[in-house]
Amino acid sequence: MKRREFFKKGTKAVVAAGVVPIIASSCASTNDILDDRNKDKWYHLGTGKKGIPNRKKIVNYDVAVIGGGAAGICAAVAAARNGSKTVLVQDRPVLGGNASSEMRVHLNGVNNLKGKAERETGIIEEILLHNRFENEQESFPVFDHVMYDFVVREPNLTLMLNTQAIEAVMDGDKIKSAKCWQSTTETLYTINAPVYIDSSGDGLLGASAGAEYRTGREGKAEFDETYAPDEPDGWQMGATLLMSSKDMGRPMKYIPPSFAIKYTHEGGHKRRKFAGFQDGIWWIEVGSDGDIIGDAEINRHKLMGYLHGVWDYIKNSGNFPEAENLALDWVGSLPSRRESRRFIGDYIVSEKDMTEHKHFYDAVAFGGWSLDEHNPGGIEDISEPPSYFHYHFEEVYQFPFRSLYSKNVSNLMFAGRNVSQTHIALSSSRIMATCSLQGQAVGTAATICNRKNVLPREVGKNHISELQEMLMRDDAFIPKRPANDPKDLAKKSSLIFGSSTLSGDPKNLLNGISRDIDGAINHWKSDGLNAELQLEWESPVDLSSVELKCDTNVKRNIMMRKDSRNNELYGNHVPKEMLKSLSLQARVNGKWHDLGSIENNRTRLIKFKFDNLKTTAVKLKLKETYGAVNVKLFEIRCYS
Amino acid sequence: MVNKLKLISFLFFPYWILFSNDLDVMSNDIIEINHEVEVYHPGEIGAIHTILTEIQNKDSVTIGYAMNVESVICLEEVCKVIPVRLYWNSIGVYQKYVLEEGATLEKYEADFFEPEDYKKLHSVLANTNSPFKDVEISEVLTVVDHGDEDVDAVSGATALELDEKDTVPGAALTCYTLWHWANGEIVKTIRKTTGESSTNSKLFEFIVDDNISFYPIALEALKERKNYEIEYVEPVIKRVSLNDTLIKSSITYLESAPIEVYSSALKEVFINGGKLQRIAVMRSLQHTKREIPRAYFDSYNKEMVHLKSFQEFSVFLGLMEDKNPNSEQINKGLIPFLDGNFLIARRVYWYLSEQNNLNANQQDKLQQFFEKHEDRL
Repeated sequence: MKRREFFKKGTKAVVAAGVVPIIASSCASTNDILDDRNKDKWYHLGTGKKGIPNRKKIVNYDVAVIGGGAAGICAAVAAARNGSKTVLVQDRPVLGGNASSEMRVHLNGVNNLKGKAERETGIIEEILLHNRFENEQESFPVFDHVMYDFVVREPNLTLMLNTQAIEAVMDGDKIKSAKCWQSTTETLYTINAPVYIDSSGDGLLGASAGAEYRTGREGKAEFDETYAPDEPDGWQMGATLLMSSKDMGRPMKYIPPSFAIKYTHEGGHKRRKFAGFQDGIWWIEVGSDGDIIGDAEINRHKLMGYLHGVWDYIKNSGNFPEAENLALDWVGSLPSRRESRRFIGDYIVSEKDMTEHKHFYDAVAFGGWSLDEHNPGGIEDISEPPSYFHYHFEEVYQFPFRSLYSKNVSNLMFAGRNVSQTHIALSSSRIMATCSLQGQAVGTAATICNRKNVLPREVGKNHISELQEMLMRDDAFIPKRPANDPKDLAKKSSLIFGSSTLSGDPKNLLNGISRDIDGAINHWKSDGLNAELQLEWESPVDLSSVELKCDTNVKRNIMMRKDSRNNELYGNHVPKEMLKSLSLQARVNGKWHDLGSIENNRTRLIKFKFDNLKTTAVKLKLKETYGAVNVKLFEIRCYS
Repeated sequence: MVNKLKLISFLFFPYWILFSNDLDVMSNDIIEINHEVEVYHPGEIGAIHTILTEIQNKDSVTIGYAMNVESVICLEEVCKVIPVRLYWNSIGVYQKYVLEEGATLEKYEADFFEPEDYKKLHSVLANTNSPFKDVEISEVLTVVDHGDEDVDAVSGATALELDEKDTVPGAALTCYTLWHWANGEIVKTIRKTTGESSTNSKLFEFIVDDNISFYPIALEALKERKNYEIEYVEPVIKRVSLNDTLIKSSITYLESAPIEVYSSALKEVFINGGKLQRIAVMRSLQHTKREIPRAYFDSYNKEMVHLKSFQEFSVFLGLMEDKNPNSEQINKGLIPFLDGNFLIARRVYWYLSEQNNLNANQQDKLQQFFEKHEDRL
């Protein structure tokens, strides 16, 4: 009874405050939902009846992922594919977060290590490849739908758009339910799940659950960080408002709107450049040293003013004759956020973990973007460079699982910019493809939690090797941690050989390293197409699946860009190296039997599934790529 | 193609010679042969018709090539175009570039090349794996400004990101333009021309030359001439048997030979070569549409001793399945392998199981193998 009284009090408080979706309850029952609609005067002309619309729903899932940016998508898809009934809750009408058409930030990752990319594989790679097939025109709004397609086609995954997780209902140190407000349907959802993943960036669910977090910059001393300020302060990197323009083929006038903030570039730092301005300027950025979430609407208004002020400067200062025919074609209204809450896990990743390439036994992701800390003040302090680019990596760093779950809320994990790390570490790991790897890791870990009925911390303590193996089987890459799945029967084969070899060795396909890295070749490359790869076992094995990792050239970026770059570092099409057409045979009683063929393959990880059979050999026929004259593979696995 | 032959008693190039090498033969009796050629440059729209000058010594041996090109492809007629003469050796490897006396190359925004830039340009052109290989002209604007990653959200300062070692800073367009002239399609033309210009005896020298770059040029020319005289085929067999990298060009050459030469040469390579040579031979025989008598395949029964690996056996038996099934000689030759390496023995077992002319003894052997290894088949 005491609990119910508490809820009633909460109701009154909320109603008094007039804040519609804010709930102060801590129970999952519909009876206790505060959004009581009994004053609703709905008269339905069609039925001639009065009634109260049902706006309260309770739903149950194995995993609830809050936030549908790149990290959340990868988390949700990983959980769903590994067998968890999953819900993905996204507060916007589109998926993709910063990379959505609402914000249009490039989905960067490890773009450039000594002139070459070291691209993230796994689910994020699959999304970017999907986009290359479905969105040749490189349209951001179409990319929204590509991501939508990627999510809704998963049979085990439910997507809730326009829905915000606004409060956690706790049971001890666990989140029992997430109260979620779906604005388009005026519906308050109570989502019950044993495991929650907050990949929302700002992390409202985690904060309301009481998960420890911090904002601002650590002082140098706390983590011995070279690039941290001497003393801690509250500064958080700002959000950016982007735009794009198009050439109209004739001079175009521009008159700034009333809210434009005059910009002169006087005293601007020399690294505050305008190159590529036609596609937006990332240093049109405003941050905060206080409550950056609370300041968001004020900063949004400022950013819209700065955006038009800078465009006015470009169009009307006379310094940019090349802009004469340009006109704004799209202007953002939703700033792209870089930083706010950083939750505290069992480990806090800091600068030197990255720059000194600390080896983590529980590594589950990697990064390699520079330590790209933007200046305090953003566009309001143009005498500073827009970013300090403190440090450029020459090889990737590891990211540990212990930074991806809450220290004090036992069933809460994180992925994205809100994970457990310092401000300086965030300046690198905040990049979306890096966040996506964290997402795939926690989504997979959530499945382990459910399968074994354990909490995330226990996954880190007792099942980390299993998690790593699952991730690598699903095409994630963990630096300096070769895969060694005891269930993989390919490793037990007596012989593996290719019909021809231009470089590498077929034996490399069994070494557990699914890319060429650290100066080592880990591939087999045929000499010409219609190549074959064969495995022989001395004694028959039971097989029901064969899985390959083919080349998609991870040394070249494939994310969509506004400038559609196509050079050695960026491609604007399906990678020519990728395998397009192939088939699989198994030998039974001395005869080869077809097990399947794939035409127009679209993924790096290629799976053949077939009815279980006993065989002594399998043979892959590798027929065609998307343009390369040879075929390159990085891994083959066989499972019963 | 029109060849214009002219004998020059003394050759004088009014160019500033930047880099010395074996093409700097300022001697009498050098022969220049002008070839009208059609070449494509990725920065140009359509084919370019120009003159490639073949340079021969007094013995009519090709020692190199030269061609005049323009320093930049100028799309908006705002850049300064300087004529540049490029030189290659006889196999199409870029050697040097030469400018007219007094001419200077320019960088972006009208800066002039410094002395070290000229050297840098040479090293850029000499790098056959330069990043310019895969670059579109539209991306060649300026070089990256170091220390400015600038790729958060929107592209950086330039369309092209190159390491400083790969370009002359500020002159990416010149590097791009000249690199594609120096290392582009013209190389194929040069190699073909060298082959065509060489006498048979010179081609023989190419075949046995320590520098294997000459080898495919010789074989392509010999193939064009349908020259399959034994004095050429024998050294080809010898060289390919010892060098894996020559397999493709050698097999391609031999595949156009008269059937007797083709089949006997391939058998020689099978016998004298290694695993890769044997596999290439068997694949050629498997895929050829030419009629080869079964007796020829039967004759391989004596050569099975050369087969060492499972892969070789696998390809060999695949060849026999396609071209020479139910061969008594081959079947007989295979029986002993049932007692060897198990994987090979199992492959042989399944092959023999499909033969319909095994004698009783052979069938017994198969049955014994089956009984012994039933659980591993």
